[in-house]
Amino acid sequence: MPFTNIETIPGQTIVQSMGVVTGSTVRSKNIFKDIGAGLKNIVGGELKAYTELLQESRNQSLYRMLADAQARGANAVVNVRFTTSSVAGGAAELLAYGTAVIVAPMNIQ
Amino acid sequence: MSDSIYLIYSLLSLSPWIASLIGTLIYQNAKKETLLQREKAHSVLNGDKLSTLSKPLGGREIKEFTTVMASVVMSPSWIQITIGRIVTLFGGEINVFTKIIDWARREAKQRLREDISKAGFDEVINLRLETSIITKTNGGNDKTSGVEIIAYGTAIKY
Repeated sequence: MPFTNIETIPGQTIVQSMGVVTGSTVRSKNIFKDIGAGLKNIVGGELKAYTELLQESRNQSLYRMLADAQARGANAVVNVRFTTSSVAGGAAELLAYGTAVIVAPMNIQ
Repeated sequence: MSDSIYLIYSLLSLSPWIASLIGTLIYQNAKKETLLQREKAHSVLNGDKLSTLSKPLGGREIKEFTTVMASVVMSPSWIQITIGRIVTLFGGEINVFTKIIDWARREAKQRLREDISKAGFDEVINLRLETSIITKTNGGNDKTSGVEIIAYGTAIKY
């Protein structure tokens, strides 16, 4: 299913809006990765374990958002936004939301 | 005898701080230098490949598109956290944290540039940057901290 973070799907027109769809997930790394990140924290710089965690969770939330859109009978999602928040220690929430729409190919005149 | 034990103990307890000092001065600067080189390699004559506009400039037609994302978690070192806490007492700009966040944003944007040029896209429009913080425990005495940046946008082909 195509999704963009601009207001339209290029080359297609929006026929109908199916409402706001969301997908979210709260994930954490295991304790060993946390210890590794704690050690890396001494020198500063990138914490690769947490970057990975973020990548996994944003794919998961995106997948849930698209599943939600599919359940509503939409065939595209526009204006997708991501927000993050830290819920508890070591866990991160990632929320993806957008507008589910039905699109049709533009008529070429 | 007890003197040497005391010496070993004090060296062991100081070693993370020594590692932190070396990491702050040498490791972080080396990483920033490589980032600068990567940014120079991707600079183009007519400006940056990233923009926050919702349409490409000049009304060009979009042939292909995809949503791209890049993320990074950057953390200040112990020394920088300590300096930050001391500066907080006096107020004003906390330079060490400004630099870390700026570094993280540059890294995330540079990853987007590298990703799209690898996949053969021309430009990223409607770029958005999200920021949040990571801590290991809530309100504890724990030093682990980091800032997470997500950069995302629509990569397009003309």
